[in-house]
Amino acid sequence: MAAAGRADSSRDRPSPAEITALIPLVRRIVASRVPDRATADDLVQETLTRVLAASGRVEPGMLEPYAIVTARNVVASLWRDQDRQRRNQHRVVDLRPPEAPDEDVLVQEDRQAVAEALTRLTDRERATLLAHEVSGQDTRSLAAELGSTAGAVAAQLNRTRARLRVEYLLAVERTEPPTDRCRPVLLAISGGDRRRQREVDAARHLLECDLCARLSEPLMGRGRAREADVRVPVQSDADVVAARSAAREVASGVGFPPTDLTAIATAVSEVTRNIVKFADAGEVVIEVLEEPRRGIRIVARDVGPGIPDVDRALRDGYSTYDGLGLGLPGARRLMDEFAIVSEVGRGTTVTMTKWVGER
Amino acid sequence: MTGTHDEGPRGVARSEAPRPLDGDEEALLPELVAHLREHRTKLRQEWVSRIREENLLQAMTSQEMSAETTSVYDNYVEVLETGSVAALQQYARDLSERIIPRGVETHEVVGIVLLLRDVLARSLFEKYQRDFGMLNRVLDAYEPAANRIANTVAVSFVDERERVIRQQQDSIRELSTPVLPVRERLLILPIIGVLDRERARQLTVQLLGGIRTHRAKVVVIDITGVPGMDETVANHLVQTVDASRLMGASVIITGLSPDIAQTLVTIGVDLSKMATIGDLQGGLEEAERMLGYAPSRPDGAPMP
Amino acid sequence: MTSGPRLFSILRQGSILIASIHTALDDSQLERFREDLIDRIGRDRAKGVIIDVAALDVVDSFATRTLRGIAEMARLRGAQTVVVGIQPDVAFVIVQLGMDTGSLVTALDLEEGLTHLAATAGASIGPAR
Repeated sequence: MAAAGRADSSRDRPSPAEITALIPLVRRIVASRVPDRATADDLVQETLTRVLAASGRVEPGMLEPYAIVTARNVVASLWRDQDRQRRNQHRVVDLRPPEAPDEDVLVQEDRQAVAEALTRLTDRERATLLAHEVSGQDTRSLAAELGSTAGAVAAQLNRTRARLRVEYLLAVERTEPPTDRCRPVLLAISGGDRRRQREVDAARHLLECDLCARLSEPLMGRGRAREADVRVPVQSDADVVAARSAAREVASGVGFPPTDLTAIATAVSEVTRNIVKFADAGEVVIEVLEEPRRGIRIVARDVGPGIPDVDRALRDGYSTYDGLGLGLPGARRLMDEFAIVSEVGRGTTVTMTKWVGER
Repeated sequence: MTGTHDEGPRGVARSEAPRPLDGDEEALLPELVAHLREHRTKLRQEWVSRIREENLLQAMTSQEMSAETTSVYDNYVEVLETGSVAALQQYARDLSERIIPRGVETHEVVGIVLLLRDVLARSLFEKYQRDFGMLNRVLDAYEPAANRIANTVAVSFVDERERVIRQQQDSIRELSTPVLPVRERLLILPIIGVLDRERARQLTVQLLGGIRTHRAKVVVIDITGVPGMDETVANHLVQTVDASRLMGASVIITGLSPDIAQTLVTIGVDLSKMATIGDLQGGLEEAERMLGYAPSRPDGAPMP
Repeated sequence: MTSGPRLFSILRQGSILIASIHTALDDSQLERFREDLIDRIGRDRAKGVIIDVAALDVVDSFATRTLRGIAEMARLRGAQTVVVGIQPDVAFVIVQLGMDTGSLVTALDLEEGLTHLAATAGASIGPAR
């Protein structure tokens, strides 16, 4: 992005060949959003026209990104126009971006990203959000209008904002998420909804999906109730030691007696070793629990081949590597609760809990 | 006095940075302090008589009362002067340590501090009653500081009390699983009564720690006085025996009742691999034989 | 014998090798420890080996198997192994893990380990052979 300095109007216009080269790209973007072939063709044409018109002001290297944004905007305006016709909607402020890009590409892109993100909300979400944020209408009167309660409206606003953040980031990145799991995961993270994050197994997805791992960073800081979790990435032998030391330290803060600290550290050692032995990458997350009692929860997850027969792996003496392989059953004996979920080809998640004063 | 200036129960002294005083307070507090110093004797006596009226601290002699109230008073004034509760906190801890064993209750400690607060407030009232505006400002400066003091003392007392209770609980637990070094390298653990999970856990900690402390090579666990145990506890006991061996000590179990033996068999313990001897006397004889016979590796010894 | 901070040391005292682990070791470091120690047992023709694990705050299944493996290899080379210094908490957790330690000879500390070797293996820290 930093390369996108101010456009230099004295620069040579790109050759028609360069514009033509953009066609497959633009077509792909438009086609993925507009099913109707004829309309799509129209929009590709419109996009290229706009790019051509603006090309003199766009840095040479920026032509392709510029085309991507423009294509999205063109599609967005189509959706908006359809919206208007359908609903005769008058409450929404005009979000249409200016006809042509301004000279400041960066600012423009940002605004476009926001605008783009807004278009991806549902009508109702957008209407409520704008009424609240732009017109300053309070949740109570909104609730009255919508036949709902103020609390429900506030919750919905929060969800909408969470979505807006996600769509904004996607628009800025000029990308569509690679899998259909991405959006639910990003939404759960953006909303800071831990339960939902568990439901969609957000942590595992972040291990698997580079895009979401990257996008989730700016989202993490928001709305998270607690940032107390300790997260240890695991790839090598040394990480096993790091993970168990971290677990011991956290457990010590929770108030476990010394024998339990050693038990917890040892259990972490066992499950973390499996990540190093069998998987490409993984992590150990250590979480302090307050409810229903004080305790510690350790989640070890990996992106790996998975365990075909979990029951067998939990029996003493089973191992696919050298030795007795008491790792999992041993760890289970050291902890109060132990659960393992494994999917062949995707990976394994071990969740184990110990409560203060259980044994 | 509605507690609006109350701080959290903890961190009264630690986390609370000295509050920026506004000009008024800064000017008033020294005047206030001077007043309280000047009338120390009279105010303190008044305070003591209020304490007596309320029947607080009856466990104390009048000499003790006099000494303690003087210290509290001086510490109190010092907090007003310096804004730092550290010294008071320390004193309150010490005081608590001294009076807790004598059965002084939390409400008494809080009560006397609140009485002092009111005695001093009343004296301020008398001094400034002609100048109502001034009185208001003096009380505004005094009240938050006084509440903070009351809070500090109460928290110190409660903390100390909790510590004492924890200590007592620990020593009771230790007593319930005594580790007796009867002679060099030999420990005896006579266990009497039901061995529940918590006691079993305690037994492990005591025994394994005791092996290291006393450099024990043989341990006799006598469970003649144990009526029975569930499978979890039995399993725990067996694990403790194995762990002792990892620390280089052999364990002999004496007084194993048929019921407990049955429980051990049920959970899959190979009794032939455990050193069990009928009674404590026999166990001790065997232990001495082992100690005199060969150190460490229990080759011929009846250990796993 | 190792580069960087010393993770372990192996000292020869008469016919006995005293191997001390100085800090928590990860799996590859433990493997290196095993290789170095077994190599030394052969070269020094030791009769007794003492492994001091007092610095380990975790002895998990891998570490236990490694210790057992060393003892077995040492036995094949004619040396007896004693593991010393297992901490109370660690001892209990090894048992809870369900590790088979039956073949492992253990003693409280270095002194006890030496006494044991003197009594059973005829090995001492006096002049070799």
